[in-house]
Amino acid sequence: MAAIDWLSDALLLAGGAFFLAGTVGVVRFPDVYCRLHALAKVDNLGLGLVVLGLALRADSVTAVVKLSLIWLLALFASATVSYLIARRALRRGITPWSAERPAPPERAP
Amino acid sequence: MPELPIALALFLLANLLVALRWVMRGPTQADRMLAALLFGTTGVAVLLLLAEAGGVAELLDVALVFALLAAIAGAAFAERAWREDRRERARGGD
Amino acid sequence: MTIARSPSLRSSRLWLMRAPLFAALWWVLAEGETRAWGVGAATVLAATAASVWLWPPSRAHLSPVGLLAFLAFFALQSLRGGFTVALLALRPRLRLRPGLRVLPLRLPPGAGRVLLADTLSLLPGTVSAGLCDDELHLHVLDQALVDDADLRAAEDRVARLFGLELAHA
Repeated sequence: MAAIDWLSDALLLAGGAFFLAGTVGVVRFPDVYCRLHALAKVDNLGLGLVVLGLALRADSVTAVVKLSLIWLLALFASATVSYLIARRALRRGITPWSAERPAPPERAP
Repeated sequence: MPELPIALALFLLANLLVALRWVMRGPTQADRMLAALLFGTTGVAVLLLLAEAGGVAELLDVALVFALLAAIAGAAFAERAWREDRRERARGGD
Repeated sequence: MTIARSPSLRSSRLWLMRAPLFAALWWVLAEGETRAWGVGAATVLAATAASVWLWPPSRAHLSPVGLLAFLAFFALQSLRGGFTVALLALRPRLRLRPGLRVLPLRLPPGAGRVLLADTLSLLPGTVSAGLCDDELHLHVLDQALVDDADLRAAEDRVARLFGLELAHA
């Protein structure tokens, strides 16, 4: 197996590991704001590594550019969507979880 | 390894389902909005891997459209939120 | 880069600068396929017209080099952010000290602020949670992760990208 295939496999596996970490974050983090951090950042890194791994297998330059374009679009999309969710949640009065005062997140009247 | 992309696609699909289940069970409405983020990243990754595994280059375009729609939806929501802000301020809100 | 003198000159310069970009984009999307060049040419013209109409030249102009530098910064920060948060999620004992923070903005209102909000959402410790008057509200995953200098550095980058002046905060 050529070194490039080996590298591609390693990148794909690393990408999968980050997706797993993102899911672990969703399960373990205490409130919606923290879960946002897990999804918006960790999954993006996972996607980036998968894109890189697939780019090494691609047979044309245009496919590589297209893959990077997809990653950048996904980055902008999740940055914007996570901003909107956080803003909406704050406005609805969902109190962020805090270590000093571990109350369950509640909705304001 | 030729089987890696398809195996990884299945693994990510399982991941997506687990995360989706937790997000849907979340205590607040905002938790359920996280599903949008899941499809924007994990969904796109699954499509890209399937494109490679099956040799179906067209799936790459499907993934591109997915990402594009997610970005446009985000921008449209942001624009609307921006306008709401301005209206609130005009009304003398906070 | 110099600023063109008359509006029509400026608009034709805009066409000359943007049409090749859209043509390159089409070439990528068609994966080098040349049979559908007719559709491609029409699409490139329509896209350029739409972009000139929707995004006319303003005082804040983007340089292509500045844009590339910013995209690289954006991607790199996102890698750093993903890595840090993944480590936090996988730590055997979950110890987070989340909280809210308010950043007084030095950027003028407009696209710059939106881009800053997006960028900070990808930094290791912060997610933007609202732009209000001249402040950006942030949710911080762990107070120890966030350094004001990082936030200010991101603001500087956005300002440089758009060629904007920062107010004294």
